[in-house]
Amino acid sequence: MSKLGIVSYGSYVPQYRINVEEIAKVWGEDPNEIKSQLQVNSKSVPGPDEDVTTMAVEAARNAMSRWKGNPKDIGALYVGSESRAYAVKPTATIVAAAIDAEGALQAADLEFACKAATAGMQMCFGLVKSKMISYGLSIGSDSSQGRPRDPLEYTAGAGSVAFLVGSENVVAELEGTYSVTTDTPDFWRREGAVYPSHGVRFTGEPAYFQHTVNASKGLMEELGTKPQDYKYVTFHQPNTKFPLRVARMLGFSKEQVEPSLVCRDIGNTYSASSLLGLSQLLNKAQLGDKIFMTSYGSGAGSDSFSFEVTDEIERVQAYQFNVDYYVNRKEIIDYGIYARFKGVLR
Amino acid sequence: MSSNKVYVIGYGITKFGELYRQGPSSLAAQALTDAIVNSQVDKNQIQTAFFGSLVSSSNSQPSIGASCIRNCNLNIPITRIEAGNASGAAAFYQAYLSILSGVYECTAVIGVEKLSDYVQSGVIERILGSTIDYQWEYEMGATLTSLYAMLTKAHMKEFGTTLEQLASVPVKNHKNGVHNPQAQFRREIKIENFLKAKRISDPIGRFDPATYCDGAAVVILASSKYIEENSDISTQIPILGSGQASDSLALHHRDSLTTFSSSTKAATVAYIEAKLSPKDINFAEVHDSYPIGEILAIEDLGFFTKGEGNKATQEGLTELNAEISVNPSGGLKSRGDPFGATGVAQIVEIVEQMKGSTGQRQVSDNNYGLTQNVLGTGAMSYVNIFGKDEVKK
Amino acid sequence: MEPPKIWRERRERYLGIGNKCLDCNEKSFPRTDYCLKCSSKNIEEYKLSKTGKILQFTQVTQPAQEHIFYSPFIIGLIELDDGIQVTGQIVDYNYDDVKEGMKVRMTFRILSIDNEEGLIKYGYKFVPY
Repeated sequence: MSKLGIVSYGSYVPQYRINVEEIAKVWGEDPNEIKSQLQVNSKSVPGPDEDVTTMAVEAARNAMSRWKGNPKDIGALYVGSESRAYAVKPTATIVAAAIDAEGALQAADLEFACKAATAGMQMCFGLVKSKMISYGLSIGSDSSQGRPRDPLEYTAGAGSVAFLVGSENVVAELEGTYSVTTDTPDFWRREGAVYPSHGVRFTGEPAYFQHTVNASKGLMEELGTKPQDYKYVTFHQPNTKFPLRVARMLGFSKEQVEPSLVCRDIGNTYSASSLLGLSQLLNKAQLGDKIFMTSYGSGAGSDSFSFEVTDEIERVQAYQFNVDYYVNRKEIIDYGIYARFKGVLR
Repeated sequence: MSSNKVYVIGYGITKFGELYRQGPSSLAAQALTDAIVNSQVDKNQIQTAFFGSLVSSSNSQPSIGASCIRNCNLNIPITRIEAGNASGAAAFYQAYLSILSGVYECTAVIGVEKLSDYVQSGVIERILGSTIDYQWEYEMGATLTSLYAMLTKAHMKEFGTTLEQLASVPVKNHKNGVHNPQAQFRREIKIENFLKAKRISDPIGRFDPATYCDGAAVVILASSKYIEENSDISTQIPILGSGQASDSLALHHRDSLTTFSSSTKAATVAYIEAKLSPKDINFAEVHDSYPIGEILAIEDLGFFTKGEGNKATQEGLTELNAEISVNPSGGLKSRGDPFGATGVAQIVEIVEQMKGSTGQRQVSDNNYGLTQNVLGTGAMSYVNIFGKDEVKK
Repeated sequence: MEPPKIWRERRERYLGIGNKCLDCNEKSFPRTDYCLKCSSKNIEEYKLSKTGKILQFTQVTQPAQEHIFYSPFIIGLIELDDGIQVTGQIVDYNYDDVKEGMKVRMTFRILSIDNEEGLIKYGYKFVPY
């Protein structure tokens, strides 16, 4: 029986971390207040020789190693990011070369703030379902920039995730997907601008919460499911507070969402955020578990997905270089080193 | 080899150092003019010239020779030879062959480099990238210094070489260089200064490498026939043997990190041609751009058993007029290293020593002298053996 | 940085692709046009082992211009599990903690960037694991 779903996945988080206390110290802020507001302790920082491309390659390679298939069988490769190394020149082509998938391949870079990679997954699902391709790889990779002193500076992290979609050896079957999109200017970065700008509290209620709730409800209505049917749920994690709150708003319990929350240690990984949460859940899930995920991208929109875990899951769970490996591999740096790595000091 | 021999009949050398007021062709012309005067030949008898340089200078004039010979009011064919930091010796070898072949009777060899123009950090390191495997060492982040650091660590690991033994190389060379008026650094440096210095590429300390600088050195070569026809020439130092050999460019393709096989091979060729053995050599100018370079050299050239160059140096066996005088000029370390000029400057030192004109750094046994000039981490080595007179045995 | 050069070298730099002789089985990296051992032109692409061990290493504190941003960094001689040796940086590790014989795996990093507007050169480096 041919299923449609996730075949493999891989993640990557750079090893450097900066603690909230260290950033707060520079700006004379109260770290305890910030930590209780955001429920984030530290964020990931890329090394001086890392960027969106290198992180995307690492995640893609982990997805390939976990899969053990032939990269030449991949028919589509999309990289979602809002902090690409090149403004013009696809990241996807470099990733394709670095995983030996060059050749007959559709590829593009996608941008939809933090949900470009889930949009890419939907595209891959569509292409596989219509039999235009056998496998599609959607990658979310970001090395996000937070303007110094901006509240975003505490959470703007870096990370990458890659999801291989197909119809053979599926580890989590797609039950449905549903999206909402509106023109909501909560967060943006103009061409050539170094740092993004945002609408402060406007990014909450009318943006993150409304879209996440509407997409989630829309999908559950369509599928006739309710929160209690799911073993786990995950959302976009701009901080830890938002996903916990939106879970509550939708009727999910803390226990359903908590295992996916990687934001506490690595911050907001933007395009990779909700999918790193999904990777965490797949690492823990068992045959028959249902998993619900809703991403959020500023601008704004949300993509909801419902998955059911298959008996293939154990095959991929033993992979050594998983989210936990990268979250636990860390070196704390101070603000000076952080500024140097970020290229602020020249 | 043919019965035709090649002789050094004259030499010229500039001061080595940061010569900001002079451009590269000015340096070359100065040394060439001095060499012509020194050789007592009519300058119109010089038939061709070989230039050795790695980069000509920031004036981007690759054919540095063209402007140099114009400065000397010469109109002869010129050839530029590039073999990295061994360009001088490479040019010398081609000039030597040009006479041995019978095509020319009298040629000039000009080694020159102008490096003090490169004031921005990292530029010399980039230039030196061309002396190692540019694609698979340099572009991966390696520098010449870092590769020598790994060579040093390999020798330390295999033979127990200590930092003190390594530091005794530059200590000795600075001691010799005090008496060399051409040298860039004419002062003794205490061993503690080498040992205390910051490690720039562990275990290589800040003061261990030779310094890149400006300079030019020239020798005039002539055939046996030319010598017969001009028997009154006061300098007649025969080249008894000369060899060049290569090794893989990258260290990661080598079988051993504790020997430069190119040096061993080049030396073997030179010894056979000269009908001499290492123990016959009285003094040598070797490539001591890093301390391990001299230790490898004195082992690879056969002066000491492999793995014993470290102790030999520390025990003073390579000091002036000890068992073998190594780098009586002060070496690259004290003289300074203008890449293309170095290989020729080594030969100038041999000739001056044989003429007994080196004052307080004079070696007492000056019959047989040897030079060794190395490209990068030993990708090419050039070895020359000179006799004060023809081989007597 | 020259676009054709980056393009030409990408399979070697990104994937560690050398070649293997189909006649005598000799493996070599970087790529050659014929077998270095038996001169046969009957060769095919060969992917280097992605893991290996550190043979020798040091720190670079005085790098060339294009590597200054990343300095200080560690450079090493790596013997891959298939016996082939390469030179590469050892990243995500403190110099004082690196040891000879340490196991490393290939990672994908920026090698250098050609000023503000030029191309980015990517390639392999190594991470201890």
